Amino acid sequence: MNKPLLQVENLGVCFHTDNGTVNAVNGVSFQLEAGETLGIVGESGSGKSVTNLAIMGLIPSPPGEITSGEVRFRGEDLLTMDSQHIREIRGNKIAMIFQDPMTALNPFLTVEEQLTEVTQLHLGHSRREARAHAIDMLEKVGIPAASRRIDEYPHQFSGGMRQRVMIAMALSCKPDILIADEPTTALDVTIQAQILELMSELQHQEGTAIIFITHDLGVVANTCHRVMVMYAGKPVEKATTREIFASPHHPYSLGLLNSALRWDESHGGMLRAIPGQPPDLTQLGDGCAFAPRCEYCVDACETAVPPLISVDKNQTREHACIQDLPSIRQTEVDV
Amino acid sequence: MSDVSDNAELPNQPVPDTGKRDLEYYARILEEARSIKGTSLWQDAWKQLKRNRAAMVSLVFLILLAVLAFFTPLLPLQSPIYQDIEQRQLSAPSFSAIPLYPESIFENDEQLPKLSNESEIASRKQEILVTTLWNNPGTVSQWLIKLRLSVFGTWSIPSLCGTDNLGRDVLSRVFWGARVSIIVGIVATFVSLLIGVSYGAISGFMGGKVDNIMMRIVDVIYSVPFIFVVIFMITIVKEDQISAVLEKWGIDQIKVFFIMIGMIYWLTMARVVRGQVISLKNEQFVEAARTIGASPTRIIFKHLIPNVMGIVIVYLTLTIPAVMRFEAFLSFLGLGVEAPDVSWGLLVNEGIQVITPIKTYGWLVLYPGLTLALTLFALSFLGDGLRDALDPKMKNK
Amino acid sequence: MFAFLLRRLGWAILTVWIVYTVTFFLMRSVPGGPFDGERQLPEEVERNLLEKYNLNDPVHIQYFNGIRDIVANPIGEKFGPSIRLADYNVDEVIAQGFPVSASLGIFAMVFALLLGMTSGVISAIKRNSALDVGFMAAATLGISVPSFVLASVAVIVFVFWIPIFPAAGWGELSQILLPALCLGAPFAGYIARLTRTGMLEVLGQDYIRTAYAKGLATRRVVVRHALRGAILPVVSYLGPAVAGILTGSLIVERIFYLPGMGSHFIEAALQRDYPLAMGMVLVYTCLLYVMNTLVDISYGVIDPRVKVE
Repeated sequence: MNKPLLQVENLGVCFHTDNGTVNAVNGVSFQLEAGETLGIVGESGSGKSVTNLAIMGLIPSPPGEITSGEVRFRGEDLLTMDSQHIREIRGNKIAMIFQDPMTALNPFLTVEEQLTEVTQLHLGHSRREARAHAIDMLEKVGIPAASRRIDEYPHQFSGGMRQRVMIAMALSCKPDILIADEPTTALDVTIQAQILELMSELQHQEGTAIIFITHDLGVVANTCHRVMVMYAGKPVEKATTREIFASPHHPYSLGLLNSALRWDESHGGMLRAIPGQPPDLTQLGDGCAFAPRCEYCVDACETAVPPLISVDKNQTREHACIQDLPSIRQTEVDV
Repeated sequence: MSDVSDNAELPNQPVPDTGKRDLEYYARILEEARSIKGTSLWQDAWKQLKRNRAAMVSLVFLILLAVLAFFTPLLPLQSPIYQDIEQRQLSAPSFSAIPLYPESIFENDEQLPKLSNESEIASRKQEILVTTLWNNPGTVSQWLIKLRLSVFGTWSIPSLCGTDNLGRDVLSRVFWGARVSIIVGIVATFVSLLIGVSYGAISGFMGGKVDNIMMRIVDVIYSVPFIFVVIFMITIVKEDQISAVLEKWGIDQIKVFFIMIGMIYWLTMARVVRGQVISLKNEQFVEAARTIGASPTRIIFKHLIPNVMGIVIVYLTLTIPAVMRFEAFLSFLGLGVEAPDVSWGLLVNEGIQVITPIKTYGWLVLYPGLTLALTLFALSFLGDGLRDALDPKMKNK
Repeated sequence: MFAFLLRRLGWAILTVWIVYTVTFFLMRSVPGGPFDGERQLPEEVERNLLEKYNLNDPVHIQYFNGIRDIVANPIGEKFGPSIRLADYNVDEVIAQGFPVSASLGIFAMVFALLLGMTSGVISAIKRNSALDVGFMAAATLGISVPSFVLASVAVIVFVFWIPIFPAAGWGELSQILLPALCLGAPFAGYIARLTRTGMLEVLGQDYIRTAYAKGLATRRVVVRHALRGAILPVVSYLGPAVAGILTGSLIVERIFYLPGMGSHFIEAALQRDYPLAMGMVLVYTCLLYVMNTLVDISYGVIDPRVKVE
């Protein structure tokens, strides 16, 4: 087997704030193959965005600090790379789309100015080439009258259109990896569907690998091949999309599934929120971070952090829970 | 960062199921809500202010200054107005002590030789001292001066800051000037507060046409170089005939001065308060409080006043230095406080007046100027600190 | 745009009219006219004086005559003679003082903008560094120290102790430099702090993260993406700054003995030369209005989201 496109090893990020050190990411490892879509799921504050900002080298420092780990892109560690070199990768090989298209585009510059500067920088386009390419990209993401609208400012576009502009900008240099940080959260439901469709369409055309950050399991079900569930800065379960929907192995994954609307909900019960609050990341205890909120918690959960263990032989499926959740649930149903 | 600081999303609203299970569920949510403790705005602000070292140093400095200014009559200072042109004109700062007054001060008094009783003589002497060495002070100050005379006697601090062209002690004048500068600062700010808050609140509450007209007026006044108009007005008010008329109404120069300055600085306050009132009127938390049945008094005291107070206090601390600077500015130009009253601006002006190409007498400008600058410096640091502490939107900036 | 300017003009006329009315009636509210306080004048002299200053007419006629003079001749002579400088018309005094005050003000403003914005940007980028702390302390000092204290100290130090600047006078660059620095200093401080705050705010925006994510270098992100947004607060501060510089010029011109409008105004105020003071208040009002309009227009140029209207 080839080396994976992107390999994250034991990544740790913390932020030094007035209220103590926030351990936002504590030992995250995963890998991404060319052309696949990985979903990273978790509540706000679970460290999913920070993980990806760290990959891009965009953690503001101070207050942020990368405490451990490696991020290997085609074998090269991005974390130790010099800034000149990493700038050549950013926006070129790895591009990013952000959550809120209303604020992610610069309101003072025209769409053209914002689109062309990427290709001028990375592909060495002249102004004319860059403009033509930008118009191409805008047409590709479905913006009507692109050659006219390219001279407008972001505030003249609707939310969905702006996210299309963002996607055009991110894909301008045909990146190997696209990191999409909740790209549809701030959009209307109908627009969400269009954007998701656009993204998977473009992925088919260009063969881009996508890391999809979201808390919306519906989006995951539609778009992702594999899923990593994060809690308190750690992955608690990794599985294929199909597997995780069929039988979650970590109580937190189960909690997320139960608290989301599902069309195939058979027992017609109520949606169940996960009780309690996410843990205070400035003071993580000895045990499993989810233990205080977990209905399957036993004494052992509070004394040691459960390691990520693999369930099946080829190690595509891992979870960090000392209990065997599927069999417990099986007995519950039996009783 | 945003990811870390966000709160958890609210739990989804449950679809009602069996009654008992629901109750349990709600009870648990309620319990959870109770267990989350909030800090009040003021506690939080105080905590944040305490961490701001510059603001705390400034606060201590200002409190000290205010206390010293209040107790100035009690301090063993020289007379701020006694002139000794012959021997002490423009003498440089020195450490040699001199007596508070020469014995000759009692020579010209007519009553004194007629008195024979020891205690009568003493009290007459004290009376002479109070009127010649201190300019007709108020009751409290007189009492404090008498206390000072009985505690320190004639001993007084040497002219550490030199003397001016009439031989008056600069240190003492700076202290007495502090009283005027501070009082003008506070009272004029209070006047602007009174006008600004009521104007802004009325405009905001009334809304509609009234609001529109009131704010148009503010706009027009804003676009006028108001300071020039005020200077113009001050010169008019200082006309003998006019001030005589005003005097009859019980308005003396210094009160006119308060009102004039207050008139300049109410504009921004009015705008700020109006904006706050309007946004609060439509704010969701006020709606929310109303929907859960909070009484109007509770809404006003729990929600509206604290929200307006914060911004008013912040603006207040920014207005006081502006007002003090303006007072000094006018006094410097000779349009403000007039002799025999002293203020810092007046003192700097006196210092500038005596500069000649041959000699500069730097201490005359330096000490009052430095005190004024330090005070304004401290006030603006405190104001910044308070703004950071009280304005949640400015947090973490 | 045209409609905007027209509406502005309308408001300007309204404002000037209000200022004129207020100052006119204040002036006339002094009982007995401007010559009463002085020593007794022979009757004929007083009559001539009243004639010269048009004080013989009934008040409402004087009021409307004043308006007529201004409307009929807004550029040339409109205010009548000065009292203090009896041989001059108010317009002549203003015409002489204006170039002095204008060049002083422009110098001060340019200095304030250059110094303030540069140090503000550096402070924001090197946040919490020694340089930042130093700049901000200097800025706060510049704001806190009243301009007359600063100017007085500057005169003592740079004119008398270390004589590198001339004491007074007008016409040469070295003569304008020190007053302009003293006048501009507080505004430089304020602009520095506004720029720093604005820059920090903009640097925290999502679109700056986007710019970095594109692989742009820091310098380009700051200059191309951040600067425009960061100076918006500075632009909106320019209006008050112009007003402040007008006020400050009163002080600075007086301390440095410059023959500008400011020193004439103070003299007029101190010596109760009401026609001159009134004329100057009106000129200052118009000046401020023009400057504020320019500021509003430039705001629209910088921020595409703002439509000037």
